[in-house]
Order: sequence, then C-alpha cells, then structure tokens
Amino acid sequence: MTTGEGAHEAAPPRVASRPASPDDCSIVSRGLTKRFRGGQVAVDDLHLAVPRGSVFGFLGPNGSGKTTTIRMLLGLMNPTSGGCEVLGRPMPAGLSAALPKVGALVEGPAFYPYLSGEANLRRYDAADPAADPRTVTSRVGSALDRVGLGAAAGKRYRAYSLGMRQRLAIAATLLGPRELLVLDEPTNGLDPQGTREVRSLIKEIAADGTTVFVSSHLLTEVEQMCTHVGVMRTGRLVAQGPIAELRDGHALRVRVESPQPAQAASVLNQLGLADVRTGVDEVTAELGAVAPERVVAELVGDGVSVRGFAVLRPSLEELFVGLTGEGFDVDG
Amino acid sequence: MPSQWSRARAVRWGVPVAAIAVVGAAVGAGPVVAAVQGDPSLPDRTAEQLVADVLKAGHEKAPPAMSGTVVETASFGLPALPVPGGSSSSPMSLLSGSHTLKVWYGGDGRVRLALPGPMSETDVISTGKGEAWLWQSDTNTATRFKPAQGAAKADGAEPAQSALPTAKTPDQVAAEILKVAGTNTAITVENGQHIAGRAAYQLVLTPKDTSSLVKEVKLALDGQNHIPLRVQVFAKGTAEPAFEVGFTQVTFSTPAPENFAFTPPAGAKIQEKTIGSPAGEKKPGAAGAGQEALGKDTKKPRTFGSGWATVAEVPFSLADLSKAPTSEQGKHGGDPARVLDTLLKSAKQVSGPWGSGKVLQSKLVSALLTDDGRLFVGAVTPEALTAAAGQK
Amino acid sequence: MSTVRSAETATPPDVLARPAEPHAEQAAGPGVAVAVPPRRGPARAALRLLRSELTLTFRRPRNIAMLIVLAIVPVLIGIVLRVVGGDGEAPSLITQVAGNGLMLTFVALSLLVQLLLPLAVAVVAGDAIAGEASGGTLRYLLTAPAGRTRLLAVKFVNVAIFGLVACMVVALAALVTGFVLFPVGPVTLLSGTTIPLADGLLRVLIVTGYSAAGMAALGAFGLAVSTLTEVPIGAVAATVVAVVFSQVLGVIPQLAPVQPYLLTSWWASFDGALRDPVATDVMTQGLLVFAAYTVVCGSIAWGRFSGRDITS
Repeated sequence: MTTGEGAHEAAPPRVASRPASPDDCSIVSRGLTKRFRGGQVAVDDLHLAVPRGSVFGFLGPNGSGKTTTIRMLLGLMNPTSGGCEVLGRPMPAGLSAALPKVGALVEGPAFYPYLSGEANLRRYDAADPAADPRTVTSRVGSALDRVGLGAAAGKRYRAYSLGMRQRLAIAATLLGPRELLVLDEPTNGLDPQGTREVRSLIKEIAADGTTVFVSSHLLTEVEQMCTHVGVMRTGRLVAQGPIAELRDGHALRVRVESPQPAQAASVLNQLGLADVRTGVDEVTAELGAVAPERVVAELVGDGVSVRGFAVLRPSLEELFVGLTGEGFDVDG
Repeated sequence: MPSQWSRARAVRWGVPVAAIAVVGAAVGAGPVVAAVQGDPSLPDRTAEQLVADVLKAGHEKAPPAMSGTVVETASFGLPALPVPGGSSSSPMSLLSGSHTLKVWYGGDGRVRLALPGPMSETDVISTGKGEAWLWQSDTNTATRFKPAQGAAKADGAEPAQSALPTAKTPDQVAAEILKVAGTNTAITVENGQHIAGRAAYQLVLTPKDTSSLVKEVKLALDGQNHIPLRVQVFAKGTAEPAFEVGFTQVTFSTPAPENFAFTPPAGAKIQEKTIGSPAGEKKPGAAGAGQEALGKDTKKPRTFGSGWATVAEVPFSLADLSKAPTSEQGKHGGDPARVLDTLLKSAKQVSGPWGSGKVLQSKLVSALLTDDGRLFVGAVTPEALTAAAGQK
Repeated sequence: MSTVRSAETATPPDVLARPAEPHAEQAAGPGVAVAVPPRRGPARAALRLLRSELTLTFRRPRNIAMLIVLAIVPVLIGIVLRVVGGDGEAPSLITQVAGNGLMLTFVALSLLVQLLLPLAVAVVAGDAIAGEASGGTLRYLLTAPAGRTRLLAVKFVNVAIFGLVACMVVALAALVTGFVLFPVGPVTLLSGTTIPLADGLLRVLIVTGYSAAGMAALGAFGLAVSTLTEVPIGAVAATVVAVVFSQVLGVIPQLAPVQPYLLTSWWASFDGALRDPVATDVMTQGLLVFAAYTVVCGSIAWGRFSGRDITS
C-alpha cells in the first residue's frame, strides 16, 4: 500500500504491499487529514491499515504528526477531513463501543499527583462504563504487577520517578482485556533495563493476539519487536507494510574486499551489477538478479584476489534515513 | 467529509442556541401569552357604563376578599437619589426603582400589607378589631395603632359609598362625573386587557391641556368585580409609564386568617400610638410618607390654573429643610435633606420678568424654586410654571 | 434505582450484552481471551464515575481547606456576636441571634452566600474540566472512555453536590455554634410571626436547599467557563470576577431593570423562607432563574466540550 503519490521529489523507493483488507485491520484510516486553525497541516491524507494481531511500529521524527494521528484515532481530535475506524467502529461515532477494548498511552503519563498509583488506576477504571467494579481490585493489582509497580502501588504518584510514571501509564492500558493497545512513545524516560522490560511485555501481549500500535521516534526500539511499520514524514505516511517486505523491497548489495578494487569493479560491471562504487580495498554494488555465488566465481575466475565477500542487507536505519530524509535518534 | 463535521458542529451549537431561545421565550412569555390569549370576552362597555359599574360595585357590596402582589415602579426621570435602592423596606425607597408589596384583604377591615426587603420586612396589619400593627423587622419594633376615643367606628377602609349621594342612581352619578371630567379630559375605554391573569377593562384618561406633562393615565379595572388592578401614568414622549402601580398576581379568595392576626414577638420593642389624636400622627401608610416629609411644615398653598395644568405655589425655604431634624425614618431610608440636595444640584438656573430661580424637571412633574423663596410645582412644562410665577 | 437492579438480576448480563454488542465475539482477535465485559446499567456506571469524582473532590486538600474555612466563619460570627452582641443599634437580625441561636444559621448563610460560598463553588467548578485538561488526565478519562457528555454531566452533579455540602457545612457549623453559645427557642420570622423550633429547623433546611440550588447554577456557569480554557486558575478567576461584577451591577440603582436577570440577585432570596407565609412566589422565581442559568450554561458547556479537540 502506498501513499503520498509523487508528492516528494526525494521520495525513496516505496514499499509496495498487498493492502490489508479492512476487515482484518484493527485500525483503518482513509484520507485522514488534520489542519490546525493556523493553517498548518499536521496530518495529510493518511491511509493507515494496521492488521489485526500485528505489532505495528508507527515511526517518524518528532513533529511528524504521529501524536496528532493517535489523538484522532482515539476520538480526542476531530479530523479536518477523512475518517478512521478502530476495531471496526468509525471514530469518533463508535467511540463508546470501541474504546473499552483499547488501551491507550498518549503523549506520556498523566495522573493525579495527590493519589497513589493504585487509586489513579481505579480512577481511570471508574471512567470506563464497560469495566466491572467487582473485579477492579484484582485487575488493578495484576496490571501493576505486570509493569513491576506492585510494591509502589500505595505510593503517591507525586513521589514516582519518571520511569515509574511511564510504567504506571502502561499499567493503565492493561486494566481490562484489550484487543488493541495504542502506545505513544512507551519507553520514554525508561532506563535500558526498563526499555527491555517494556519490549518483552509488548511481545508478551502481542503473543496473546492483541494488536499493538506503538509509535516511536526511536527506530531501535521498535525494530526488534514490530511485525509491521508505518513511517511518517511531515504529516504524510511515506511507507507502511510488513517489516520483511520493507527490507525485501530494497536492493541487496555485495561488498568485495580486494587489494585490486579497479579490477574487481570491472568484473562486477561486466556482470551487469548496478551502482558499482570503488573504495579503498573494497568495491560495493547492487546485487540485482545475479546470484552471489556467481559473482564470487567470476571474480575468482578473473584472477581477482578476494579477501572478503559479503551480501549486505540494508539496515532499517539506512532505510528510514532514506524514507524520512532525516536520521532517527539512534540511541535516544 | 468536511460538511459532515460542520453539520455536527451546527448540531452541537444548536443545542445551546435552542436553550437560550427557550429561556428567552419563557422570560418574554408573559406578554406573549397575554397576546395569544387574545381579547378576553368581556362585554363592551362605554366609559359611562363602566364608571356606573364601578360605582354600583362599590355601592352594593364590600370589595371581595383577595390577596396578591402589587408592584410599584417609578421612573420619574429624577437624578439618582441617595436612597438605598431596593435595599430597604423603608417608604422613602419607593421614590425610585421597582418595589413589591404583598397585599391581603379579608373583608371587615382586615388588611395586611407586607413590604419585603432583603432579610427584612415591614408589615402593616389591620386586625379588623379596631387595632392596627406596624411591624418593622429592621428595628425589631412593633407599633400598635388604636383609634382615638370617639373616632372608633369611622376608621377603616370605608368604601366610597359615604361620599355618594344616595338619592341618585350610580348611572346618574357616572354621567355627572364624566361630564365634569370631560371638560378637560378625554375618556375612552380599552377592552381586552390581561392584568395579573385577569380580564380587565382599561379607562384611559387623556388630558386636553397641552401644557400638561401627562400624556395619559390608564386605570385598569377587573372585568368581573371592578376592583382597580393597575394604574399607569404616562409622561409625554415616553412609551414606558413614568409611574405604575398594579397587581402582578391576584387571587380573589379569602386569605388565611393568620395574616390578620399579630402578636408581637418576644423581645420586640412595642410602641403604642393613637390615630386621630390632635397630635396628627401620621398614618402608617407606606406610599406618600415621603412627600409628606417634604411638605410637612408648609403653609397653605396657592394654586393657579385648573385641571391637569394646575400649578401649586408653596412658600418654601431651603434653610428650613436643611435644619429639619433627621427623623428616625431618615436614618434608615435616606435623609430627605440629602435627597433634596441631590435634586437641586441637577436643577437648571432660569430667569425672567418674574425674577430668577431654579427649575427642576422630571418626566412627570416640574418644580420652580424662585430665589425669593417660592416653590411652584405642577405636572406641567417649566414654561407653565414660569408663567404662573409671573402672575404674582 | 431499585427497578434497574431488579431488571438486572432478572436477566443474565450476557443476554443483556448480546443485542447491544452484536459483533462482540466476532470482533475479538484470533486467540484473544477477551471476555465479553458484563454490561451493567449505564446509570450504575455513571454512579461509579460520580463516586470517583466525589472521592477526588472531597479528598483534595484544597477543597477540604475551603470547607474548613466555611465551617470556621459561622463559628467566628457566633463568637463575635456573643462577645460584642446585645447592642440594640445593630440590624435586628443580628440582635435576634442573641435571643435565638437558630438565627445564626440565617445570618451566616446570608453573609457567606454572597462571596465565600460562590468562591468555593467557583474553585471546584472552574477546575472541573480545565484542571483535568491542564493535568493531561482529561485525555485518559476520555479514552477510558468516560464519554464527553457523560463526563460533563457527572462533573456538574459533582459540583452541585459540593455546593450542597458547602451550604450544609455552613448551616451545620452555624447551628451547632448557635446552640452552644446562645439560647434556643421558638423562632421569630421576618414577618414578626413566631414559629416553633422544629418548624424553624425545617426552614433552615429550605434555606440551605435554596442556597445550594443557587450554588449549583453558579457551578454550571463555572463549568461552562472551564470548558473554554486549559488553565484552571483562569477559569476560577473568570467565574469569581463574573460573580463580583454581577454583584456590582446588582447595587447600581440605574440598572434595576437588569437585576432580575442576574444570578447573584437571587441568591439572597432565601429570606422568602423566613416570611409568613413563605414567599413561595419569589423563591420559585429564584429557582426558575437558577434552572435557566443551569440549562443555558450547561448547554453551552456541552456545545463546547462535546466537539472540542483535546490537545493537552
């Protein structure tokens, strides 16, 4: 599924993917657009399709419209035009039917500072008309345990550290049985250990069949857990699809280490490989349809001394730099 | 899609707009309902018939027992008076603004008037047993009025029948009244009024004299028992009445007897007064006391002109008034001297062959205070006053 | 309420849930152990949210402090009257307190209903939506999903209950102080009539209820202001300024025609309950004005809040 037809002159090769049928999607948006009063377009003609059961990484630099999109998906904002469906319900009309099955973390944690962590979760649970008050104690308890806050349940939120606050916000999304989790930057403020924990928690939740829609400006965070990604750039969705397809859509390259780079380059050119670049003691080129073993055989056959040979799979990092025109904060 | 959102927005804001419209309609419903009700089906009456009806009603039977709320609104166009607006139940406050008075009438001289103020109330209760009480919660004072010996019987709200020559029929009297009044007043009858929820006739009296400041006086009479329901005085050039007193709510049924009984509460100051004694005690009436206070010490006034254009000349001295002791009333309801001071400040200096003085004009009444100490008052234009001053 | 409960016990929750949620099972993802949430009556769910609101309101240190101040003022008035009282020159209602402790309730309410009670209500009402917005908790309440209309309605009921409790705190504090410091007996009304003590207590109840209705109308106004901003202090200040401004308008004699339309003009009309007979016409009119303010302000709040973008 492609978006933003021809609008970007520097548009990188787009990932083509079978558009998921709307019935199989937890989130679908059609032409979702948000124009702020000042005229600034925060989200532009978004066609999002988040397959049911996927872990969908919603990527993009800060300010690319991720949070605005999430606010529209959750019915907090009205789209200027276009529409979206969450769990098969149009938003915001079907909000009351859909949202009880959606756990959401939007733009960081927000709680009542003078209440304890547990009381805070009870407060949000009380706001959900579908939640059963008879089971609230056990649900709140298990949510706190899942994020490792069981011991700090009675502590006032005011006294929580940044990481604890973030965990509490994740706990709030786990208060009930969910079909969809929307997590906006879930590892913000967490130390590496906490980030790992959250990542494994998300995997665990996803293993239960829950769709997880996780936004991030950190590529490394989502790369390891996502099945699908969507990439935002200045309000437009520049790519989306299964992560494997995204990778496959990109040309593999070969790298030949050799003390005779010029000779190696001419062999590669003869084989018809494109984009041959010669460096110091190495040559790289797009592999194209040529089998790697044939490349090696030709090189050796022509008497090029090959010290090393590798087929390069482009890292997602390189991919997204290409897609978004700017780098991600690699290590946050 | 955008149209869908703007439609949703229209619906959303339609609700508050509708709410405001409903409340606005409810506020303005009184006149509207009256208009919708249309003309009450009262038989047409000429002025003469109507006056005869009133006389008959007064002649044949005592006014019916009733209770209701009377609202008095004065908008004389006077400068702001140093009278505590609606904040006091004192009679002086009746001079400006709008005031509510509750009335209960049980027949047989049993009357109760209540003038409510904020966290206070003034009550006048005539028990019908030859005594009356004035209760002022402000001062926690109960004053008991008893008629002077000998005058006992004549007290009370005697109907106008005593003034009516019994030899003549009401019709004849009505004709005579109208004939006399007709010399300077045009009298018409309006049918189809709704006042305090009652169908009413309205007598409209229009002065013929051009120098009068009064455009017309409207007197509304209940269609069934001919009790006056409302009096409105309109000044020339204004659509709203300059003075209005009338029922906003009225019930013609006998009020609970508790209204006409009064036992001074424990701890209240109790005073005794006698009515009709040579000392000339003031009647405990609410309205008119202010005017009385102003003109208390005056000598006999001279009058010029007649009818609506009558001008009264009153000997008057400013010094007297400023010396006037601040009465108990002054303390609570605004000092008359201060009221006058404020009035004079807004007066206009005039002079002519008659001398010079200050003219004070309100919507309904003009006053001319000459520098040689004469006061001319009338419901007339200032020109008419100066003309009177020139007559000597 | 009882009918709701009996209806629920009569029908298993699952049966109730099915017609409302035709896609519930179908919508559940493969292998997801999503139990169909037992549907409870919307009234009970709203009551749960209201209970949560009330807990929040009455546990909040700031609100508790305001209620304590409201309780202290009548006590102070009582002590001052006890020490200084008996002065014949004072307005009679004050002197009457010396004779009857019950009157302290009316004195205290008539003083506090002008500014201190409205201030307390304005703080809670102005904070209602703007406070949640500025803290960011509003977005989590709405994604819970609390439902905008439902949340607004619950917030209003919460403010109204706070107003009622505030009035009751004043009345009770005054009543207790009056009973401790002064003799208590039959009550003299403004009309000069004396009624038995029990009747007097009933009138205290009427006066408290009427004042609470006036505070609820102010609450609706504060709530409307609160939906306009994300700065709670701004909403509170705007509400208080509106009250003060309206009271200034109320004492300018030239503005007499406007005064019946001002909310503040009707707060003190609870004195109608101290007349004989009770001035039901004035008080009914006051209650109608309160209702009109509540409906208009409530609908404005709804119009604004139901469609607003939540950006905080």
